[in-house]
Parts: sequence; C-alpha cells; structure tokens
Amino acid sequence: GDNRTAAKASTDVVAYKNVNDLPPPRDLMIQIDQKNEAVLLPIYGSMVPFHVATIRTVSSQQDTNRSCYIRIIFNVPGTPFNSPDANSLKFPGAIYLKEVSYRSKDPRHISEIVQLIKTLRRHFVARESERAERAT
Amino acid sequence: MTDGHLFNNISLGGRGGTNPGQLKIYSGGILWKKQGGGKAIDVDKADIMGVTWMKVPRTNQLGVRIKDGLYYKFTGFRDQDVTSLTNFFQSTCGITPEEKQLSVSGRNWGEVDLNGNMLTFMVGSKQAFEVSLADVSQTQLQGKNDVILEFHVDDTTGANEKDSLMEISFHIPNSNTQFVGDENHP
Repeated sequence: GDNRTAAKASTDVVAYKNVNDLPPPRDLMIQIDQKNEAVLLPIYGSMVPFHVATIRTVSSQQDTNRSCYIRIIFNVPGTPFNSPDANSLKFPGAIYLKEVSYRSKDPRHISEIVQLIKTLRRHFVARESERAERAT
Repeated sequence: MTDGHLFNNISLGGRGGTNPGQLKIYSGGILWKKQGGGKAIDVDKADIMGVTWMKVPRTNQLGVRIKDGLYYKFTGFRDQDVTSLTNFFQSTCGITPEEKQLSVSGRNWGEVDLNGNMLTFMVGSKQAFEVSLADVSQTQLQGKNDVILEFHVDDTTGANEKDSLMEISFHIPNSNTQFVGDENHP
C-alpha cells in the first residue's frame, strides 16, 4: 500500500523483507515482480532480485542468429538520480554491481521485459519526485 | 536406512541454471546423480572442506566446498532435512555446517568476497549472489573504477536456463579500500 512506499527513501531500497516473499520459482529467466517493483535475474541457478530504484537504463539488441541480448545498467555513484552521493556517504567503500548482460533465445520475452522495466522505472521515478516535491 | 540419507529432487546449481537429480549423503561422502543419467558428482568425505546451509525461496540450499577449490550447490531440502543432515555432517564428517543468509533487499551495492573459485556479492553481510571465476573467460578493467567479467558461452551443460548471463561488471569507487592496488582482482 501507500504507507509502505511513502516510507521508502530512495537510498533505503528494500525489494523484499523475507526470503519467502519472493515470487515462486518459475523458469530461470528474467522476471518482473510489479508488486514489489523488483527485477529478478537468474544468476547461477538462483533468482536474484534488484529493486527498480537501482536500475538506470535497460536496452536490448538482436543479432543475426536470432539471439537476443539485454543489458541492464545500474545506478552507481557519479551518475544522476537516486542521490548516489548520499548513498556513497552512507555506504562508504561499497562496491556496486554496475551492469549485467544476458543472451536469450526469446526476443519476444526480452522486448516484453525491456518494456516492463521501463514502465516500472517511470512509475517509480514519477512517484519519488512527487514525494520529494511534497517534502519541500 | 542406517548408512546415510537419500533425497530425490535435489538440483545442482551452476553456470547454466539448475539440473534436477538425486543426492545420497552417506558415511563415505556425497553422491549426486543427474535425473535420467549423465552427469554425476562423487565427493569423498575426506575431500569435504566445508558445508553451508542457506535458506532460499521456499527451500534450502546445501553448499559443499571441496579440497580443490570447487564448490557445489544443492537445492531442494526441507527444513527437517537441514536438521538431520546437520547432525549427520557433525557425527560422520566432524564438520559443523555454517549458516549463510540470502539477501533479498534488491540492492546493488555491497561487498565482493573472493573465496577459492567463487566470487560472492554480499549485501549487508548477506549473500546476494555467487558466480564461479572458473567460468569467466575474460576480465577487463574499464577506466579506473570498473571491472568487467565475461562468461564462457556454454550450451553443453543441458541446464534449464532461458536467459544466460554473459557479462557482469562491478564499479569500485575510489572510496573503496579493499582492492586498492591489487592487479589481480577480482
């Protein structure tokens, strides 16, 4: 609900509180959890969640062999949005996951994922800036 | 069964996803066989260096580190299996399993931990994910602060992953002191 999202500062992202809050494991493919605003990435047989607030851009590309590539770039210090400087002050010495790139055999799935992430991000950014405006 | 425990539906996790199979844990060690034959993993008790448990969504994961630096991850244990196997490892192998926690906060900042072949990304002292450096085909330094890991393209394992990780990169800010001046990292 609204209480949860209002209490969530951008430097304090939490996609899930508990291990069992994650959506039931399905196929090992990139998955979107709209309710928790999370992108789940298959890494070594596990689904690893990332909150949409950590994502900066997403793009896809198709090669001649009908293989499809998706690239997700995360927010790291020194890039705009998500007040990274506040973040690096709060977590000095932290190492950031900056980018992941996947190959997929399913271009439709990838373009759907790209659209979903973009929409999710747009909603999140809009809500955060509205919240920031109200706060001032 | 007096000597050991047999578990069906235990998946071996790795580069290409997971493979279902059957796991036997007995006084001589650990034996995992892929469902329908093929790959098998046979670990002698004497080669087990360490054992870990981690709660993962809806099930439990057993990590087994062996002598030569390899690390196997088996998923699909019930809570009661964790208890009985913990006792078994203690009494049979003299090893007390360590408990690890999984990070599900969705953050992309934390620490990088290198242990044997494994690179672990830790968020708030919990494990977010692990990759094996044995599968890394190339590492690149980009600028002063970014490290790129490229993974082998592996279509042969017959695992079930639909989207395959090709590349991952980490940003190490100047404020990080863990890896300063280390040419070989990660």
